[in-house]
Amino acid sequence: MKFKNYLLVFATTALLFSCSSDNTNKNENTSSDTFEVPDSLLQDDDMSLQLDKEAMDEIIQNISSPVEMSALLKDEGIEFNYKFLSPTDNIDEFNTNFKQALNLGVLGADMGYLNMYNKTGAVLNYITAIKELSDELKVGQFFNFETLKRLATNSENIDSLMYISVSSFDKMDSYLRENNRSDISALLVTGVWIEGIFLATQVVKENDNATIKERIGEQGIVLEQLLIILNHYKKDKRFFDLITELEKVNTALSKVEIVVEEGEAEMVEVDGVLMAVSNQKSTVKMTDEQLVEIIKTIEELRNFVIKY
Amino acid sequence: MKKHFLILLIPILSLFVSNEVKAQCNSSLVTVCSAKLSDDATYLKELRARLQAHESGQQMPVARFSLLLNKGNHYRFNICNAEEFEGQAILQLYDKDKLLGTSYFSKTKKHYPSFDFICPKTGVYKVLISFEDGKEGCAVGILSLVNK
Repeated sequence: MKFKNYLLVFATTALLFSCSSDNTNKNENTSSDTFEVPDSLLQDDDMSLQLDKEAMDEIIQNISSPVEMSALLKDEGIEFNYKFLSPTDNIDEFNTNFKQALNLGVLGADMGYLNMYNKTGAVLNYITAIKELSDELKVGQFFNFETLKRLATNSENIDSLMYISVSSFDKMDSYLRENNRSDISALLVTGVWIEGIFLATQVVKENDNATIKERIGEQGIVLEQLLIILNHYKKDKRFFDLITELEKVNTALSKVEIVVEEGEAEMVEVDGVLMAVSNQKSTVKMTDEQLVEIIKTIEELRNFVIKY
Repeated sequence: MKKHFLILLIPILSLFVSNEVKAQCNSSLVTVCSAKLSDDATYLKELRARLQAHESGQQMPVARFSLLLNKGNHYRFNICNAEEFEGQAILQLYDKDKLLGTSYFSKTKKHYPSFDFICPKTGVYKVLISFEDGKEGCAVGILSLVNK
Protein backbone atom coordinates (compact mmCIF):
# COMPACT_ATOMS: atom_id res chain seq x y z
CA MET A 1 0.00 0.00 0.00
CA LYS A 2 2.80 2.32 1.03
CA PHE A 3 4.69 1.53 -2.19
CA LYS A 4 1.55 2.21 -4.23
CA ASN A 5 1.25 5.61 -2.55
CA TYR A 6 4.84 6.52 -3.37
CA LEU A 7 4.32 5.31 -6.89
CA LEU A 8 1.20 7.48 -7.19
CA VAL A 9 3.10 10.56 -5.91
CA PHE A 10 5.99 9.87 -8.24
CA ALA A 11 3.76 9.31 -11.27
CA THR A 12 1.67 12.42 -10.59
CA THR A 13 4.73 14.60 -10.00
CA ALA A 14 6.47 13.27 -13.08
CA LEU A 15 3.37 13.82 -15.20
CA LEU A 16 2.86 17.35 -13.95
CA PHE A 17 6.50 18.32 -14.26
CA SER A 18 6.69 16.87 -17.73
CA CYS A 19 3.76 19.12 -18.66
CA SER A 20 5.51 22.05 -17.02
CA SER A 21 8.74 21.32 -18.80
CA ASP A 22 6.94 21.04 -22.11
CA ASN A 23 5.33 24.39 -21.47
CA THR A 24 8.69 26.00 -20.80
CA ASN A 25 10.11 24.66 -24.03
CA LYS A 26 7.11 25.93 -25.92
CA ASN A 27 7.67 29.40 -24.46
CA GLU A 28 11.31 29.34 -25.48
CA ASN A 29 10.35 28.57 -29.03
CA THR A 30 7.53 30.98 -29.50
CA SER A 31 8.26 34.00 -27.37
CA SER A 32 11.08 36.01 -25.92
CA ASP A 33 9.70 35.83 -22.40
CA THR A 34 12.49 33.67 -21.05
CA PHE A 35 15.76 35.27 -20.05
CA GLU A 36 18.84 34.47 -22.06
CA VAL A 37 21.99 33.27 -20.39
CA PRO A 38 24.34 36.28 -20.44
CA ASP A 39 27.08 36.33 -23.04
CA SER A 40 29.76 36.03 -20.37
CA LEU A 41 28.43 32.58 -19.44
CA LEU A 42 27.99 31.19 -22.91
CA GLN A 43 30.22 28.29 -23.84
CA ASP A 44 30.07 28.05 -27.59
CA ASP A 45 32.30 25.83 -29.65
CA ASP A 46 32.50 28.36 -32.47
CA MET A 47 33.31 31.58 -30.64
CA SER A 48 34.06 33.51 -33.80
CA LEU A 49 30.56 32.97 -35.15
CA GLN A 50 29.12 33.75 -31.73
CA LEU A 51 31.05 37.02 -31.50
CA ASP A 52 29.89 38.03 -34.92
CA LYS A 53 26.28 37.54 -33.94
CA GLU A 54 26.87 39.26 -30.60
CA ALA A 55 28.37 42.29 -32.30
CA MET A 56 25.42 42.47 -34.69
CA ASP A 57 22.90 42.10 -31.87
CA GLU A 58 24.63 44.78 -29.87
CA ILE A 59 24.44 47.26 -32.73
CA ILE A 60 20.78 46.52 -33.47
CA GLN A 61 19.92 46.74 -29.78
CA ASN A 62 21.47 50.16 -29.32
CA ILE A 63 19.53 51.97 -32.04
CA SER A 64 17.16 54.56 -30.58
CA SER A 65 13.56 53.84 -29.77
CA PRO A 66 10.83 54.77 -32.30
CA VAL A 67 9.40 57.38 -29.96
CA GLU A 68 12.51 59.47 -29.23
CA MET A 69 12.40 61.62 -32.35
CA SER A 70 8.65 62.20 -31.93
CA ALA A 71 9.21 63.13 -28.27
CA LEU A 72 11.74 65.74 -29.36
CA LEU A 73 9.30 67.22 -31.93
CA LYS A 74 6.59 67.45 -29.30
CA ASP A 75 8.93 68.90 -26.66
CA GLU A 76 9.96 71.58 -29.16
CA GLY A 77 6.32 72.62 -29.55
CA ILE A 78 6.05 71.40 -33.15
CA GLU A 79 2.48 70.82 -34.30
CA PHE A 80 1.42 67.37 -35.48
CA ASN A 81 1.17 66.98 -39.24
CA TYR A 82 -0.66 64.09 -40.93
CA LYS A 83 0.98 64.74 -44.29
CA PHE A 84 4.34 63.48 -42.98
CA LEU A 85 2.99 59.99 -42.31
CA SER A 86 3.54 57.03 -44.59
CA PRO A 87 0.23 55.88 -46.13
CA THR A 88 -1.25 52.61 -44.86
CA ASP A 89 -3.45 51.79 -47.86
CA ASN A 90 -2.11 49.21 -50.30
CA ILE A 91 0.43 47.84 -47.85
CA ASP A 92 -0.41 44.39 -49.28
CA GLU A 93 1.59 45.57 -52.30
CA PHE A 94 4.69 44.99 -50.18
CA ASN A 95 5.09 41.39 -51.21
CA THR A 96 8.63 40.60 -50.10
CA ASN A 97 9.92 40.16 -46.55
CA PHE A 98 12.52 42.82 -47.38
CA LYS A 99 9.90 45.49 -48.10
CA GLN A 100 7.58 44.28 -45.35
CA ALA A 101 10.30 44.52 -42.69
CA LEU A 102 11.48 47.97 -43.78
CA ASN A 103 7.93 49.32 -43.87
CA LEU A 104 7.05 47.67 -40.58
CA GLY A 105 9.79 49.86 -39.09
CA VAL A 106 8.47 52.94 -40.91
CA LEU A 107 4.91 52.37 -39.66
CA GLY A 108 6.23 51.64 -36.16
CA ALA A 109 7.88 55.07 -36.07
CA ASP A 110 4.66 56.64 -37.41
CA MET A 111 2.68 54.91 -34.69
CA GLY A 112 5.11 56.36 -32.12
CA TYR A 113 4.53 59.82 -33.67
CA LEU A 114 0.74 59.40 -33.51
CA ASN A 115 0.85 58.08 -29.94
CA MET A 116 3.14 60.88 -28.80
CA TYR A 117 0.62 63.44 -30.04
CA ASN A 118 -2.32 61.44 -28.66
CA LYS A 119 -3.85 60.95 -32.14
CA THR A 120 -5.53 57.74 -31.04
CA GLY A 121 -8.21 57.83 -33.75
CA ALA A 122 -5.68 57.59 -36.59
CA VAL A 123 -3.57 55.07 -34.68
CA LEU A 124 -6.13 52.33 -35.45
CA ASN A 125 -5.22 52.31 -39.17
CA TYR A 126 -1.55 51.97 -38.27
CA ILE A 127 -2.19 49.20 -35.74
CA THR A 128 -4.10 47.27 -38.42
CA ALA A 129 -1.38 47.79 -41.04
CA ILE A 130 1.38 46.83 -38.58
CA LYS A 131 -0.55 43.70 -37.62
CA GLU A 132 -0.81 42.72 -41.29
CA LEU A 133 2.90 43.23 -41.98
CA SER A 134 4.02 41.53 -38.77
CA ASP A 135 1.81 38.51 -39.58
CA GLU A 136 3.43 38.31 -43.02
CA LEU A 137 6.82 38.28 -41.28
CA LYS A 138 5.55 35.68 -38.80
CA VAL A 139 6.11 37.91 -35.78
CA GLY A 140 2.45 38.89 -35.38
CA GLN A 141 2.24 36.88 -32.15
CA PHE A 142 4.18 39.65 -30.37
CA PHE A 143 1.79 42.32 -31.51
CA ASN A 144 -1.09 42.45 -29.06
CA PHE A 145 -3.60 43.62 -31.65
CA GLU A 146 -6.80 43.42 -29.59
CA THR A 147 -5.29 45.18 -26.54
CA LEU A 148 -3.76 47.91 -28.69
CA LYS A 149 -7.04 48.41 -30.53
CA ARG A 150 -8.90 48.68 -27.22
CA LEU A 151 -6.34 51.15 -25.81
CA ALA A 152 -6.41 53.23 -28.99
CA THR A 153 -10.15 53.79 -28.62
CA ASN A 154 -9.63 55.22 -25.14
CA SER A 155 -7.33 58.23 -25.22
CA GLU A 156 -6.89 58.10 -21.43
CA ASN A 157 -4.77 54.98 -21.85
CA ILE A 158 -2.08 56.68 -23.90
CA ASP A 159 0.75 55.55 -21.56
CA SER A 160 -0.32 51.90 -21.81
CA LEU A 161 -0.72 52.23 -25.58
CA MET A 162 2.76 53.67 -25.84
CA TYR A 163 4.27 51.01 -23.56
CA ILE A 164 2.59 48.04 -25.29
CA SER A 165 3.39 49.27 -28.79
CA VAL A 166 7.06 49.98 -28.01
CA SER A 167 7.54 46.73 -26.10
CA SER A 168 5.80 44.79 -28.95
CA PHE A 169 8.46 46.10 -31.34
CA ASP A 170 11.20 45.16 -28.87
CA LYS A 171 9.81 41.62 -28.58
CA MET A 172 9.58 41.22 -32.37
CA ASP A 173 13.15 42.43 -32.73
CA SER A 174 14.49 40.13 -29.98
CA TYR A 175 12.63 37.13 -31.41
CA LEU A 176 13.98 37.76 -34.91
CA ARG A 177 17.55 37.98 -33.63
CA GLU A 178 17.19 34.90 -31.40
CA ASN A 179 15.90 32.96 -34.39
CA ASN A 180 18.70 33.87 -36.79
CA ARG A 181 16.59 36.37 -38.71
CA SER A 182 18.88 39.30 -37.93
CA ASP A 183 18.53 40.50 -41.54
CA ILE A 184 14.82 41.15 -40.96
CA SER A 185 15.58 42.72 -37.58
CA ALA A 186 18.17 45.01 -39.21
CA LEU A 187 15.60 46.14 -41.79
CA LEU A 188 13.04 46.78 -39.05
CA VAL A 189 15.35 49.11 -37.11
CA THR A 190 16.52 50.75 -40.35
CA GLY A 191 12.88 51.52 -41.23
CA VAL A 192 12.31 53.03 -37.79
CA TRP A 193 15.40 55.22 -38.14
CA ILE A 194 14.57 56.37 -41.69
CA GLU A 195 11.06 57.44 -40.70
CA GLY A 196 12.34 59.22 -37.57
CA ILE A 197 14.86 61.33 -39.47
CA PHE A 198 12.34 61.87 -42.29
CA LEU A 199 9.84 63.36 -39.79
CA ALA A 200 12.56 65.60 -38.34
CA THR A 201 13.75 66.84 -41.75
CA GLN A 202 10.19 67.60 -42.89
CA VAL A 203 9.66 69.60 -39.71
CA VAL A 204 12.80 71.74 -40.16
CA LYS A 205 11.74 72.56 -43.73
CA GLU A 206 8.86 74.47 -42.15
CA ASN A 207 10.33 75.39 -38.75
CA ASP A 208 13.70 76.95 -38.07
CA ASN A 209 14.40 74.95 -34.93
CA ALA A 210 18.03 74.71 -33.74
CA THR A 211 17.51 71.69 -31.46
CA ILE A 212 15.89 69.57 -34.20
CA LYS A 213 18.54 70.66 -36.71
CA GLU A 214 21.21 69.58 -34.24
CA ARG A 215 19.53 66.18 -33.77
CA ILE A 216 19.48 65.72 -37.56
CA GLY A 217 23.17 66.67 -37.79
CA GLU A 218 24.06 64.00 -35.22
CA GLN A 219 22.36 61.18 -37.11
CA GLY A 220 25.60 60.19 -38.83
CA ILE A 221 26.49 58.46 -35.53
CA VAL A 222 23.41 56.21 -35.85
CA LEU A 223 23.72 55.68 -39.58
CA GLU A 224 27.31 54.53 -39.17
CA GLN A 225 26.02 51.77 -36.86
CA LEU A 226 23.23 50.78 -39.24
CA LEU A 227 25.61 50.52 -42.17
CA ILE A 228 27.86 48.14 -40.23
CA ILE A 229 24.96 45.69 -39.90
CA LEU A 230 23.48 46.17 -43.37
CA ASN A 231 26.85 45.66 -45.05
CA HIS A 232 26.78 42.07 -43.77
CA TYR A 233 23.97 41.41 -46.24
CA LYS A 234 25.17 43.50 -49.18
CA LYS A 235 25.51 40.43 -51.43
CA ASP A 236 21.73 40.47 -51.64
CA LYS A 237 20.83 42.99 -54.37
CA ARG A 238 17.97 44.50 -52.41
CA PHE A 239 20.32 45.20 -49.47
CA PHE A 240 22.93 46.52 -51.88
CA ASP A 241 20.40 49.00 -53.35
CA LEU A 242 19.30 50.10 -49.87
CA ILE A 243 22.93 50.58 -48.79
CA THR A 244 23.56 52.68 -51.92
CA GLU A 245 20.71 55.01 -50.93
CA LEU A 246 21.88 55.14 -47.31
CA GLU A 247 25.44 55.91 -48.43
CA LYS A 248 24.15 59.08 -50.16
CA VAL A 249 22.69 60.20 -46.82
CA ASN A 250 25.92 59.19 -45.08
CA THR A 251 27.97 61.32 -47.46
CA ALA A 252 25.75 64.31 -46.68
CA LEU A 253 25.86 63.67 -42.91
CA SER A 254 29.62 63.13 -42.84
CA LYS A 255 30.13 66.80 -43.77
CA VAL A 256 28.67 67.83 -40.42
CA GLU A 257 31.30 68.55 -37.77
CA ILE A 258 30.74 67.46 -34.17
CA VAL A 259 33.10 68.94 -31.57
CA VAL A 260 33.28 67.25 -28.16
CA GLU A 261 34.79 68.86 -25.05
CA GLU A 262 35.61 66.37 -22.32
CA GLY A 263 34.37 66.95 -18.75
CA GLU A 264 34.11 65.18 -15.42
CA ALA A 265 31.12 63.13 -14.28
CA GLU A 266 29.51 63.13 -10.83
CA MET A 267 26.46 61.80 -9.01
CA VAL A 268 24.27 64.31 -7.16
CA GLU A 269 20.88 64.20 -5.47
CA VAL A 270 18.43 66.83 -6.75
CA ASP A 271 15.02 67.06 -5.01
CA GLY A 272 15.32 63.44 -3.90
CA VAL A 273 16.22 62.21 -7.40
CA LEU A 274 19.64 60.71 -7.96
CA MET A 275 21.25 62.35 -11.00
CA ALA A 276 24.26 61.31 -13.03
CA VAL A 277 25.75 64.57 -14.26
CA SER A 278 28.32 64.68 -17.03
CA ASN A 279 30.08 67.96 -17.73
CA GLN A 280 31.01 66.85 -21.22
CA LYS A 281 29.84 69.15 -24.04
CA SER A 282 29.24 68.53 -27.72
CA THR A 283 28.56 71.06 -30.46
CA VAL A 284 27.17 70.31 -33.92
CA LYS A 285 28.46 72.52 -36.74
CA MET A 286 26.23 72.27 -39.82
CA THR A 287 25.72 74.84 -42.58
CA ASP A 288 22.33 75.51 -44.24
CA GLU A 289 23.66 74.01 -47.49
CA GLN A 290 24.63 70.83 -45.66
CA LEU A 291 21.15 70.63 -44.13
CA VAL A 292 19.50 71.07 -47.55
CA GLU A 293 21.59 68.24 -48.94
CA ILE A 294 20.72 65.98 -45.98
CA ILE A 295 16.99 66.72 -46.43
CA LYS A 296 17.17 65.93 -50.16
CA THR A 297 18.95 62.60 -49.65
CA ILE A 298 16.57 61.60 -46.84
CA GLU A 299 13.53 62.33 -49.02
CA GLU A 300 14.96 60.20 -51.83
CA LEU A 301 15.75 57.39 -49.39
CA ARG A 302 12.29 57.47 -47.83
CA ASN A 303 10.63 57.38 -51.27
CA PHE A 304 12.80 54.40 -52.16
CA VAL A 305 11.62 52.61 -49.02
CA ILE A 306 7.88 53.23 -49.22
CA LYS A 307 7.45 52.73 -52.99
CA TYR A 308 5.78 49.44 -53.95
CA MET B 1 -9.66 8.48 0.09
CA LYS B 2 -8.67 11.69 1.94
CA LYS B 3 -5.11 10.36 2.04
CA HIS B 4 -5.11 9.80 -1.72
CA PHE B 5 -6.48 13.28 -2.27
CA LEU B 6 -3.65 14.79 -0.20
CA ILE B 7 -1.09 12.66 -2.00
CA LEU B 8 -2.32 14.11 -5.30
CA LEU B 9 -2.73 17.64 -3.93
CA ILE B 10 0.83 18.09 -2.62
CA PRO B 11 2.60 17.78 -6.00
CA ILE B 12 -0.09 19.89 -7.68
CA LEU B 13 0.36 22.68 -5.11
CA SER B 14 4.13 22.47 -5.28
CA LEU B 15 3.89 22.91 -9.04
CA PHE B 16 1.74 26.01 -8.72
CA VAL B 17 4.08 27.48 -6.10
CA SER B 18 7.11 26.79 -8.29
CA ASN B 19 5.46 28.31 -11.35
CA GLU B 20 4.54 31.42 -9.41
CA VAL B 21 8.13 31.86 -8.29
CA LYS B 22 9.44 31.29 -11.82
CA ALA B 23 7.05 33.89 -13.15
CA GLN B 24 8.93 36.55 -11.23
CA CYS B 25 11.99 36.25 -13.44
CA ASN B 26 10.38 36.81 -16.82
CA SER B 27 8.13 39.31 -18.57
CA SER B 28 6.09 39.85 -15.40
CA LEU B 29 9.18 41.46 -13.84
CA VAL B 30 9.34 43.83 -16.81
CA THR B 31 5.65 44.67 -16.40
CA VAL B 32 6.06 45.29 -12.66
CA CYS B 33 9.17 47.41 -13.19
CA SER B 34 7.57 49.41 -16.04
CA ALA B 35 4.54 50.08 -13.85
CA LYS B 36 6.88 51.84 -11.40
CA LEU B 37 7.67 54.51 -14.00
CA SER B 38 6.34 57.88 -12.96
CA ASP B 39 3.75 59.73 -15.04
CA ASP B 40 6.41 62.02 -16.45
CA ALA B 41 8.40 59.17 -18.05
CA THR B 42 7.94 57.32 -21.35
CA TYR B 43 9.12 53.71 -21.57
CA LEU B 44 11.92 53.17 -24.12
CA LYS B 45 13.72 49.85 -23.54
CA GLU B 46 14.10 46.95 -21.16
CA LEU B 47 17.44 45.45 -20.19
CA ARG B 48 17.16 41.93 -18.78
CA ALA B 49 19.85 40.25 -16.72
CA ARG B 50 19.89 36.73 -15.32
CA LEU B 51 23.28 35.92 -13.81
CA GLN B 52 24.70 32.93 -11.99
CA ALA B 53 26.63 33.30 -8.72
CA HIS B 54 30.25 34.36 -8.96
CA GLU B 55 32.66 31.43 -8.76
CA SER B 56 36.09 32.02 -7.26
CA GLY B 57 38.80 32.33 -9.86
CA GLN B 58 36.26 33.37 -12.46
CA GLN B 59 35.39 36.86 -13.67
CA MET B 60 32.49 38.56 -11.93
CA PRO B 61 29.35 37.82 -14.00
CA VAL B 62 28.06 40.97 -15.71
CA ALA B 63 25.34 41.59 -18.31
CA ARG B 64 26.41 44.21 -20.84
CA PHE B 65 24.23 46.37 -23.06
CA SER B 66 24.89 49.14 -25.57
CA LEU B 67 22.49 52.03 -25.87
CA LEU B 68 22.39 54.93 -28.25
CA LEU B 69 21.46 58.00 -26.21
CA ASN B 70 20.66 61.39 -27.68
CA LYS B 71 22.06 64.74 -26.61
CA GLY B 72 19.71 66.86 -24.51
CA ASN B 73 17.39 63.99 -23.61
CA HIS B 74 16.61 63.41 -19.95
CA TYR B 75 16.77 59.65 -19.37
CA ARG B 76 15.85 57.57 -16.32
CA PHE B 77 17.27 54.15 -15.48
CA ASN B 78 15.11 52.03 -13.15
CA ILE B 79 16.31 48.71 -11.78
CA CYS B 80 14.10 45.97 -10.32
CA ASN B 81 15.11 42.65 -8.76
CA ALA B 82 13.26 39.35 -9.05
CA GLU B 83 12.10 38.43 -5.58
CA GLU B 84 13.13 34.79 -5.66
CA PHE B 85 16.85 35.62 -5.83
CA GLU B 86 18.99 37.08 -3.11
CA GLY B 87 21.18 39.12 -5.46
CA GLN B 88 20.66 42.91 -5.41
CA ALA B 89 21.17 44.33 -8.87
CA ILE B 90 23.56 47.18 -9.61
CA LEU B 91 23.05 49.16 -12.83
CA GLN B 92 25.98 51.23 -14.06
CA LEU B 93 26.18 53.62 -17.00
CA TYR B 94 29.49 54.10 -18.81
CA ASP B 95 30.77 56.31 -21.62
CA LYS B 96 33.60 54.13 -22.91
CA ASP B 97 35.53 53.42 -19.66
CA LYS B 98 34.24 56.40 -17.70
CA LEU B 99 31.60 55.62 -15.07
CA LEU B 100 28.81 58.19 -15.40
CA GLY B 101 26.14 56.82 -13.11
CA THR B 102 25.33 53.95 -10.76
CA SER B 103 22.37 52.67 -8.78
CA TYR B 104 24.64 51.55 -5.90
CA PHE B 105 27.20 53.31 -3.73
CA SER B 106 29.70 50.87 -2.28
CA LYS B 107 30.90 53.32 0.42
CA THR B 108 27.43 53.69 1.95
CA LYS B 109 26.23 50.29 0.67
CA LYS B 110 23.06 52.05 -0.48
CA HIS B 111 20.98 50.88 -3.45
CA TYR B 112 18.81 53.32 -5.38
CA PRO B 113 15.81 52.13 -7.44
CA SER B 114 16.64 54.60 -10.21
CA PHE B 115 18.87 57.42 -11.37
CA ASP B 116 18.49 60.12 -14.00
CA PHE B 117 20.90 61.17 -16.73
CA ILE B 118 20.75 64.24 -18.95
CA CYS B 119 22.70 63.20 -22.00
CA PRO B 120 25.43 65.72 -22.98
CA LYS B 121 26.48 64.03 -26.24
CA THR B 122 24.76 61.73 -28.74
CA GLY B 123 26.60 58.43 -28.81
CA VAL B 124 26.72 54.79 -27.85
CA TYR B 125 26.86 54.28 -24.08
CA LYS B 126 27.38 51.06 -22.12
CA VAL B 127 25.10 49.76 -19.40
CA LEU B 128 26.32 47.02 -17.07
CA ILE B 129 24.09 45.05 -14.73
CA SER B 130 25.71 42.92 -12.01
CA PHE B 131 24.71 41.67 -8.57
CA GLU B 132 26.13 42.81 -5.24
CA ASP B 133 28.85 40.46 -3.98
CA GLY B 134 28.48 38.37 -7.11
CA LYS B 135 25.33 36.63 -5.88
CA GLU B 136 23.01 34.83 -8.27
CA GLY B 137 20.26 37.13 -9.44
CA CYS B 138 17.67 38.18 -11.93
CA ALA B 139 16.83 41.80 -12.66
CA VAL B 140 15.43 44.11 -15.25
CA GLY B 141 16.55 47.63 -16.01
CA ILE B 142 14.10 50.00 -17.66
CA LEU B 143 15.26 52.94 -19.72
CA SER B 144 12.70 55.71 -19.97
CA LEU B 145 12.56 59.23 -21.32
CA VAL B 146 11.58 61.91 -18.81
CA ASN B 147 9.16 64.31 -20.45
CA LYS B 148 10.15 67.98 -20.41
